Amino acid sequence: MSPSSKITGVDGASLSACIVNIAERGDREAFARLFSHFAPRVKSYLMRLGAVPEAAEELAQETLLTVWRRAAAFDPTRAAASTWIFTIARNLRIDLSRREARGVPADDPSQHDSGPAAPDDALSSVEDEDRISRALATLPKEQAQVVALAFFADKPHSEIARDLGLPLGTVKSRLRLAMSRLRGALAERRP
Amino acid sequence: MSPLHHPDDSLLVDYATGALDAGARMVIGAHLGACPGCSTTVAEAEAVGGALMSTLPAATMSPDALALALARIERPAPAEPTPLDGPADWIAVPTEVVRAATRRRRWAAPGVWVAPISQRPGGARSYLLRVGAGMSVPRHTHRGAEMILVLKGCYVDGDIRHGPGDFAVNDDSVDHQPRAIGEVECVCLISADSALVPRDWVGRLFQPFVGI
Repeated sequence: MSPSSKITGVDGASLSACIVNIAERGDREAFARLFSHFAPRVKSYLMRLGAVPEAAEELAQETLLTVWRRAAAFDPTRAAASTWIFTIARNLRIDLSRREARGVPADDPSQHDSGPAAPDDALSSVEDEDRISRALATLPKEQAQVVALAFFADKPHSEIARDLGLPLGTVKSRLRLAMSRLRGALAERRP
Repeated sequence: MSPLHHPDDSLLVDYATGALDAGARMVIGAHLGACPGCSTTVAEAEAVGGALMSTLPAATMSPDALALALARIERPAPAEPTPLDGPADWIAVPTEVVRAATRRRRWAAPGVWVAPISQRPGGARSYLLRVGAGMSVPRHTHRGAEMILVLKGCYVDGDIRHGPGDFAVNDDSVDHQPRAIGEVECVCLISADSALVPRDWVGRLFQPFVGI
């Protein structure tokens, strides 16, 4: 690490700062640090969703390349680095599966990403990520299970319910409880 | 003005996790562009996704992964296609919808046009539907679910008024004849699991042409 580099850790704030540094001055060292932290986790996420390791690694590469190219669109007051990178990986995965399914040519599926956000409502920054992580760890087991399935099984509510042998209403209410608890964790910091 | 009718939270979470099919994703994405409240809910769910992803154990990458990444960022980025803007008086929609509106309009009945956006082998389809002020669509029900978002104008379905940005889900339990109201045409973005089921002779006549 060069002594001039102000960013050394892998906490949320320094990861966000890496993206800002890429946007501001094409900081390759910051990119390398982001890559080392996120690429293996993006790969894990995609493998959880059923991708084979080679395909997951290729999409993780694409994800970090997109981070480099679109760094200027990242707003650290609006989202944590992990949130932004998660949405990029998710969108690339959707684009890829759409191309594989030979559907219509895909446009950007997430136009809301660049859409207007109400600044005072928008999620800000890295303390939120810590709050969410802590709240996730305290969720009751059955709620944590549906949250994990929702994000890592690539299935809508209806299929999760079928897999668990639960009524759809039960799955919906568990997920609603979990999300409101997580939302409550975010609300703590709000005045 | 913010929309009054919203997707339920479970659909917003499905949007955030990436579990929705392309048509539902497009309709809900267009609603999000018009609805700060639902956008916040989706942003919160995405933050949960990011936090969960951060908790996963790191997968092993190929030994040359970082070197490859550093080489790739030196290559010039391909030009991104310029997004096409829809009409100024519509809720914002993605380029594929704007393109369908300008290139694929089919006349369906006086004052009514349809523009197919996509059609999938299983029967799922998405399309735009334009109905002139004061006109009704033929009475119909649905096989499977249909999601509908108003891009411009207003329609009433029973007693409920739907304006720009409003979202609705209909399924085989509804048998209805929505009607455009107000001074201007009503344009809607629709994603459906399968074709409409017409309930009167007008619909049975007009459906085979327009493929909705």
